[in-house]
Amino acid sequence: MRTVTTTVIADSPQAYEDRHVHAVYDQIAEHFSSTRYKPWPIITKFLSDLPVGWIGLDSGTGNGKYLPLPAERPGSVLTVGLDRSRNLLQIAQHAGGRPGAPIMREVVWGDVLGNGWRAGAFDYAISIATIHHLASYERRKLGIQRLLQCVSPAHGRILVYVWSIEQDELSKRSIPVDAIYEAESLGTDVFVPWVMPQQNASRSKPRGQTSARDQQTQPSGASETTVATYNRYYHMFAKGELTRLTCEAAEEMDLIVGSPEGVERRGVEIIQDGWERSNYYVELRCWKT
Amino acid sequence: MVRLITHNLLACHVKGCTSNNFPLIFQDVQIELQEAEFNPDFVTHILPRLEWGALVDAAKQVGDTSLPPERPEMMDDDLLRQLHHVLMEIHVVEGAMICPNCKHSYPISNGIPNMLLAEHEIG
Repeated sequence: MRTVTTTVIADSPQAYEDRHVHAVYDQIAEHFSSTRYKPWPIITKFLSDLPVGWIGLDSGTGNGKYLPLPAERPGSVLTVGLDRSRNLLQIAQHAGGRPGAPIMREVVWGDVLGNGWRAGAFDYAISIATIHHLASYERRKLGIQRLLQCVSPAHGRILVYVWSIEQDELSKRSIPVDAIYEAESLGTDVFVPWVMPQQNASRSKPRGQTSARDQQTQPSGASETTVATYNRYYHMFAKGELTRLTCEAAEEMDLIVGSPEGVERRGVEIIQDGWERSNYYVELRCWKT
Repeated sequence: MVRLITHNLLACHVKGCTSNNFPLIFQDVQIELQEAEFNPDFVTHILPRLEWGALVDAAKQVGDTSLPPERPEMMDDDLLRQLHHVLMEIHVVEGAMICPNCKHSYPISNGIPNMLLAEHEIG
């Protein structure tokens, strides 16, 4: 069971993310990746429903586990993976490949708040378990706006997942979010520890990042096992917060939130939002009349 | 990897660099050719999504002059295979991409393009 502690962002959000998100993922990349292999059903379905020949962005791709999908018709769409951790990208580059059958994925080293794409270049974008690592409300909103900017204004599809305050490790149910949201539910900032066994602690000391982790020596049988704990920063979203954030992000870009209407208008429709496996998600479709 | 399909999506995002910031220009590139499975349906459907002129220029920069200068209206099998090769089988492994407007250089190393900017360069 993960023990989550609350945290306060004392630094600038950028510096805070560098220290408590980017540095940590670079350190834990390989171990983290070995635990992240099972795609979630709603994401799998989103990717399976895409028309052939579409190009998409996986913003915060991590180890690239979504890059090979849809599994039932590989190569029918192309997803480009973007991440801030170069060590994770080196894993993502080969996602879905097997020894002897190398596969190269398209990956780009960058920040999800960057905008290194021609406007509307993508047909779809997914951002799974990423926006919750952004350390201020404004930055999380900008994160959503970057997704809205990079997809086609006429038909772009977007799927976003973030960590929820409502944690239920065992439940496999998907609970729809009520239309009526609790006011003033602003979520909460936390550290989530990543505990990693250290084979040889003296050799694997992180360079200049000792403050991001604590080391303990734990007796285990005859030998001693050293464990390193890395704290990752998360903003745990409150109920309704992701959908509200999305609406605000869209409205700031002069997009209508709702079904297509009027002439020469641009908008975005919320196809579904809800809760699945300790995460909130929202699926969007852009439209232009 | 930076294949030309990805290059066709990338644009400079340095603060204030908002026009003539696409396509980036390849510089000092090392390329590797790697065969990829040919999916004619995929290539056919991707055609309208491409910036054709940018693709033709980028292909020339990496030594491939096989594409017609104008986006073809009809794709025969040969052309589909040629387009598949240009988009999916040419991997830029090392080098850089330069913004035509502000000249910012985005390095490519081990097939991974670095689109990170320093804080003062972010718009």
